[in-house]
Amino acid sequence: MTREWWKHLVLILGALIVLAPFYMMVSYSFKSPGEIDRGEGGFFGRQDVMIDPRCVALRQPDRADIEAARSRFPGQDDAGVQAELQAETEAACSMRPVAFNYTKAFTEAPLMRYLLNGVIVTVSIFLIQVVVALPAAYALAKLKFWGREAVFGLVLFCLLIPVHAIALPLYILLAKLGLTNTYAALVVPWTISVFGIFLMRQFFMTVPDDLIDAARMDGMSEFAVVWRVMLPTAIPALLAFAIFSIVAHWNDYFWPRIVVTGNRDLFTPPLGLREFKGDGDGSFFGPMMATATVIVTPLIVAFLIAQRRFIEGITLSGMK
Amino acid sequence: MKLSTSAMVLALSASAVLAEDTVTIEFAYPYSHLFDVTYEAMMPAFKEAHPNIEVKFRATYESYEDATNTVLREAVAGNLPDVTMQGLNRQAPLIDKGIAQSLEPFIATEADFEKDGYHEAMLSLSTFDDTVYGLPFSISLPVGYYNMDILHAGGIKELPQTWDEVIAACKTMKANGIDNPIFWGWNVTGNWFVQALLWSQDSAIVDGGRVTLDSAETLVALEQMQEIFTECEMQNLEWKSALSSFSAGDIGMMFWSTSALGSVERSQGDFELVTGPFPGLDGKPKGLPAGGNAAMLTSTSDDPKVREAAWTWLKYITSGDGAAEVAKTTGYMPPNKAANEIILADFYEQNPNKQTAVDQLPLLRDWLAYPGDNGLAITQVIYDSIERIVTGDATDMKELQQEMVEEVADLLPNG
Amino acid sequence: MAVLDMGVAAHPKPNNHEARTAWGLAAPALALMFLILLVPVIVAGVLSFTNYSLGNSGFDWVGTQNYERLFTRSTYEKMFIATFTYVVTVVPISVGLGLGAALLVHSLGRVGDIYKTIYFLPVMATLLAMAIAWEFMLHPTIGMVNRTLAMACGSWFEVIPFFANGCHDGFPLWLGDRDYAIWVVCFIGVWQGFGFNMVLFLAGLTSVHRELYHAAEMDGARSGWDRFWLVTWPALGPTTVFVVTISCIRAFQVFDTIEAFWPQGGGPNKSVYVMMFAIFEKGVQQNLIGMGSAITVLFLIFVMFLTLIQRRLVERKVHYG
Repeated sequence: MTREWWKHLVLILGALIVLAPFYMMVSYSFKSPGEIDRGEGGFFGRQDVMIDPRCVALRQPDRADIEAARSRFPGQDDAGVQAELQAETEAACSMRPVAFNYTKAFTEAPLMRYLLNGVIVTVSIFLIQVVVALPAAYALAKLKFWGREAVFGLVLFCLLIPVHAIALPLYILLAKLGLTNTYAALVVPWTISVFGIFLMRQFFMTVPDDLIDAARMDGMSEFAVVWRVMLPTAIPALLAFAIFSIVAHWNDYFWPRIVVTGNRDLFTPPLGLREFKGDGDGSFFGPMMATATVIVTPLIVAFLIAQRRFIEGITLSGMK
Repeated sequence: MKLSTSAMVLALSASAVLAEDTVTIEFAYPYSHLFDVTYEAMMPAFKEAHPNIEVKFRATYESYEDATNTVLREAVAGNLPDVTMQGLNRQAPLIDKGIAQSLEPFIATEADFEKDGYHEAMLSLSTFDDTVYGLPFSISLPVGYYNMDILHAGGIKELPQTWDEVIAACKTMKANGIDNPIFWGWNVTGNWFVQALLWSQDSAIVDGGRVTLDSAETLVALEQMQEIFTECEMQNLEWKSALSSFSAGDIGMMFWSTSALGSVERSQGDFELVTGPFPGLDGKPKGLPAGGNAAMLTSTSDDPKVREAAWTWLKYITSGDGAAEVAKTTGYMPPNKAANEIILADFYEQNPNKQTAVDQLPLLRDWLAYPGDNGLAITQVIYDSIERIVTGDATDMKELQQEMVEEVADLLPNG
Repeated sequence: MAVLDMGVAAHPKPNNHEARTAWGLAAPALALMFLILLVPVIVAGVLSFTNYSLGNSGFDWVGTQNYERLFTRSTYEKMFIATFTYVVTVVPISVGLGLGAALLVHSLGRVGDIYKTIYFLPVMATLLAMAIAWEFMLHPTIGMVNRTLAMACGSWFEVIPFFANGCHDGFPLWLGDRDYAIWVVCFIGVWQGFGFNMVLFLAGLTSVHRELYHAAEMDGARSGWDRFWLVTWPALGPTTVFVVTISCIRAFQVFDTIEAFWPQGGGPNKSVYVMMFAIFEKGVQQNLIGMGSAITVLFLIFVMFLTLIQRRLVERKVHYG
């Protein structure tokens, strides 16, 4: 027991470094611009009421506004009226930092829409991957046909080609077809998961032939065999594969960056965050950290709940 | 009973109004940290004046380079917005490729364009081959931002007028313990500051279709930059970092576009901020490039209602109302004279820092575009070369000039 | 990696019906493999010999001009240096740390699970989000890193030259400093990736049979170090090869951090101008498709080469191991 204390020491030091940016990200999502600049306020920030400078800038008075307001402040000259209007504006634009950060995160850009896009894209990709990969894996594992070796050889060859590596020619093809800036562009290149085919094939080969023969005797077509017999047996592997796929595509930044140019309706969560980052205004670090927190949270929460499955999924990629 | 019938009538007429076609136009602009406030401020009045037009904002462009690059890609993919804001130096390539459309047909239908404040000098910035292709939205000039608290602490009382005086000020500040005396905006979009140093010598970077980087004036410019960066030991900050550092009060002098003034004033710490004219090489600059962007029509729609709506929006944002917002929320100068009728009578007295750029208007020159298809790549080459001066990687300016000329020659159209 | 299992027993010639069904089932996958994986490789290969620009109606054949530029211009020299520096730094460190963490966590049993969770978090979190968090921490003046370093000023830390210089002249700009930028990016790469490797090693460790350790003890291997060298390390052979290959390929593909920190240019003095970013900049941003394709082809060659080496090594090990 005592010999283990040094292990804990090392691991804890590592944990501190690993967790530092998470801590900072969440903490700054609570703080006001002033606190961020000066690095004060503890974890939650003091939550003193702050004035939103952009809100004030939006309400700067024109000559017309001063005219209109004159009646409300009798006896004051123009400068006085302007000062009164300024005070009113500041009062209207005051709020607590955490409210400022998180409301700005959701209102400056359609964050909900981005999260929704993330879900749409990752789920579509996974479903299509399964529909494409499962039958092919079954054919390779359980059916005999001329050319089977060739097809499997092709699968092995394609394992050498990471989709990111051929992003440029794919982009050219899609641009020529006028398909950039569509959900199709975000989803289609990922629908072929050669890794998925390989994984499922290895798995299916361990399924006893009797099961399949019995189903055939019952009059099932091969197609039905895939979905009614093989799929249920593969659920654990599929689940792990699902997690692997969804995590990878939720976090994918490179491909959406290339293929989506300006249409916010299509932004995935990383693109949404990137748009925020484009802001050079110091007052927006808080909302930017709030956005980052919102984007990172779903996967982390899911991970904490279903750790074992997650790690299985990632490990399966090692069982090749 | 009466109440409910009148309510029904109201509801019916309201739905009748709504049933009238709302036209949607798609719009994109750059530099969200500068312009988000500006467009937000304009929308309420626009919606009142034109309830049938809905403006859908696309994601903002990172920079003028990003703006051009995105529009070029969208032209290929068939996905152009209806109206786009482009840097003044990026208009020419879009016109050459037929992406930006002539505004003459629309101007012809206007009753009194001049009266609306659109004067000759303003339109000339977006006029090519005697045809108007864009309406300028915001104009800027380079200025100096000075943190007077730091300057005073460093023992400096007067604003420098030449680069030699700037360097002397740096040294004084460093001697008095100021770590970060200066940021010089070499990395601003479109090699703007390189063009500034060239225009200061009355030299254009593109002359008669030829890029003049092999000129003597370019060598002078490179050497001047080297002097500033090395004598002042300037740090290689990314420009956004530099802006936020300056706002936080960590930098003594910043040379940048007047455009960021609004943003800096909103986020600045507790110090006295003063802007001064852009220093010259020996004496005052002979010319300075105009920064800023113009609104261009890139709509691929055949629907006349959409095109009309796009024109309405184009006109609105560059009109007196729109231009007034530009003046109020940013440091840019409103190109439309009508703006002066709308903003406060003593606006510039109350905002003397914004006056500096206005004072330099007589020096206004073009922000030049590079010939051929590869303007963006050429900009990058020049950017990379200047960066080598900042990091100390390049010490022989003649050699640097030579390499720069060679690499740019690779990217120019033949002949 | 499992050996290719042919599993073809001596059956009578397969009937046509089965063959047709099989092709039918595999057809979508085959079509997509061609369209999405194979055709683009050919397209990239062909275009790399042209000066094509997206949007132009035609292009010229320029022979090997793009490749010549790749191997002579200083910009591309920086690209190779940046890419290889990154790979050669990140892979050994993240594999080493992954292995170390796995060993420590494994030996702690259930208590170690909490560390497993913590170390895996960076793998799950969107790299772009975490990169932005890191960028903020590395801000020269308001960032936590330089602030923490500054706290050491005025103490005995100043004996170390780094601190002495830092306290006097100001700590490095990190992302703006051409000497430090690449190391910062490497650090973030290791930070993000070693948890993944740790998990893979843990899986490998659990499959090492206990009896082997007993046998080794019988043979006189007492210390933990001996046990590691004699039993653990050899047993982890295939896993290690796999981890190293996957880490290499992931390292080659690094992009998110570089584009987020430096949207233009690829780092101060192009010191972080890695291949994926170069493809993006040349092909997508500057529309020099010919050049972008040439870099793509080179990239594919590297990746394929690596994967083939891995397969060869593992096959050998499985054969003899």
